[in-house]
Amino acid sequence: MSAGGRETSRVPQVAAPPLIEAQGVSRFYSTVSGETVHALDRVDLRIADGEFVCLVGPSGCGKSTFLRLVAGLDPCDGGRLTLAGHPVLGSSSDVGVVFQTANLLPWFTVMANVSLPLRVGAGRERSTDTRHIQELLSIAGIAEFANKYPYELSGGMQQRAAIVRALARDPKVLLMDEPFGALDALTRERLNVELLRIWKASQKTVLLITHSIAESVFLADRVLVMSARPGRILREIPIHLPRPRTLDETPAHPDYVPLMTEIRALLYSEAA
Amino acid sequence: MKTDASTGANVAKPAQNRHTSAARGRRVVINVGVFVLLVLCWIAAVRGFGLRSYILPLPGDVLKALWAGIAVPITDKTGFYLPLWVTLSNSALGFLLGSALGLSLGSLMAEFRPIETAVMPYAFALQSLPKVAIAPLIVIWFGFGNASKIVIAATLTFFPMLVNSFTGLRATEPERIDLMRTLSASRLETYFLVKVPSAAPYIFAGLDMGAVYALLGTIVAEFLGAQAGMGVTITQLQAVSDVAGVFACLIVLGATGILLHLGMRSIERRVVHWTERSRS
Repeated sequence: MSAGGRETSRVPQVAAPPLIEAQGVSRFYSTVSGETVHALDRVDLRIADGEFVCLVGPSGCGKSTFLRLVAGLDPCDGGRLTLAGHPVLGSSSDVGVVFQTANLLPWFTVMANVSLPLRVGAGRERSTDTRHIQELLSIAGIAEFANKYPYELSGGMQQRAAIVRALARDPKVLLMDEPFGALDALTRERLNVELLRIWKASQKTVLLITHSIAESVFLADRVLVMSARPGRILREIPIHLPRPRTLDETPAHPDYVPLMTEIRALLYSEAA
Repeated sequence: MKTDASTGANVAKPAQNRHTSAARGRRVVINVGVFVLLVLCWIAAVRGFGLRSYILPLPGDVLKALWAGIAVPITDKTGFYLPLWVTLSNSALGFLLGSALGLSLGSLMAEFRPIETAVMPYAFALQSLPKVAIAPLIVIWFGFGNASKIVIAATLTFFPMLVNSFTGLRATEPERIDLMRTLSASRLETYFLVKVPSAAPYIFAGLDMGAVYALLGTIVAEFLGAQAGMGVTITQLQAVSDVAGVFACLIVLGATGILLHLGMRSIERRVVHWTERSRS
């Protein structure tokens, strides 16, 4: 099934090794009450360089758990997870993470927040050239807020800053965990368009988790639908909608609604 | 959109100000009213029960004693300034020592589980012990000089600082720590850039409590024996039944305590600027 999916997707360089590859990845964790939860069950997936992949699934299905594994925050309990051919053993400068909340540090200005990755850990060895950061702030449309504190920004602006921070080390992969879930519908749609623009300009590989079917169809090259816990990849659905996608044209495309219906049917069959 | 939001804010702001200023006015009336009532009760009690001035002096006598202690040159031996300076400088040294040690051990406990396991039982046991009770012991060990005052002040400051810094550092939002982990930040970077600022409101609460405790500890130590200090002045006045003088000392100490608290709060507001603003 996965091979067929790849053939029909518009991913370039099918022969090239995948940037992210999961083979039979499992994960268990124990709750506070001592229960062991089987969060992920033999997840297989391959994500090519430059691809935009969305992961959707019922809540509690292990989407975020999977993202934490790729980010190197938690270890796999089984299977093999590689990033650019190397096993994921911990955090890497090749990966930028955008969290559910903007997660900016309120005691730093926006500039200090987005340049944090260049001041700590592996970032210290990199050049402290802030022109790159300035450019990213401009692309994200928040250059004028560089010297403001996070509490002076709206939720949407904060999340833009969080995306800039994730891009600060110029990573290969952007991992996004329901990044727009806390925003109002209008801001969310606008940020979806912005994200596609940033993705195109920066040529990153994006793995984005969402519970919004519309968002996943609007953004992705491929949507991976996860089962209820323990999470497995139920099916992968290539999205052939033309790019650049816009809020006017994309939802009007004849394939748009059928794709949403297909994903929704899969999710509902899982939730029942 | 933008104009809507800004006009909305403009409408809301004056209304809110009017509300708060009216509330503030009412609060001032209540505070002044209660104060006047208390002074009247005081006078009525002295007059009504025919109390002697060596039991309870009239407010006027207390004011006279206060004035006699304040309206003198700073170096005057009978004024309040010299003993207050001795008490405050010893408190300050004890406070600095105690809060530095409390923050250090609290940090070590928050960062290293084995240290937490080792120290926690003793910290809790000593926390519930009324620590002024060990003051006589400290006087035996450190003598009647400044050292015993500083050590007692430090001991009293140490525990609230230890508990508050430990609790605050452990309360750091896990998402912020995850962020630092994705950046492969070192432990020290995470501590200074994320955990300490996160814990700052707790640390300041500890400092606030510690400042008052340091003053308390110093005065208790002075009661037990010292050459100079507000505690010595109080015992001397007590010896000659100058109760009005004792009251005047208490007013001076009360005012000092309030000033310390207000000073600490204003430093906190300036340093931890993000908490008040993000709440509104």
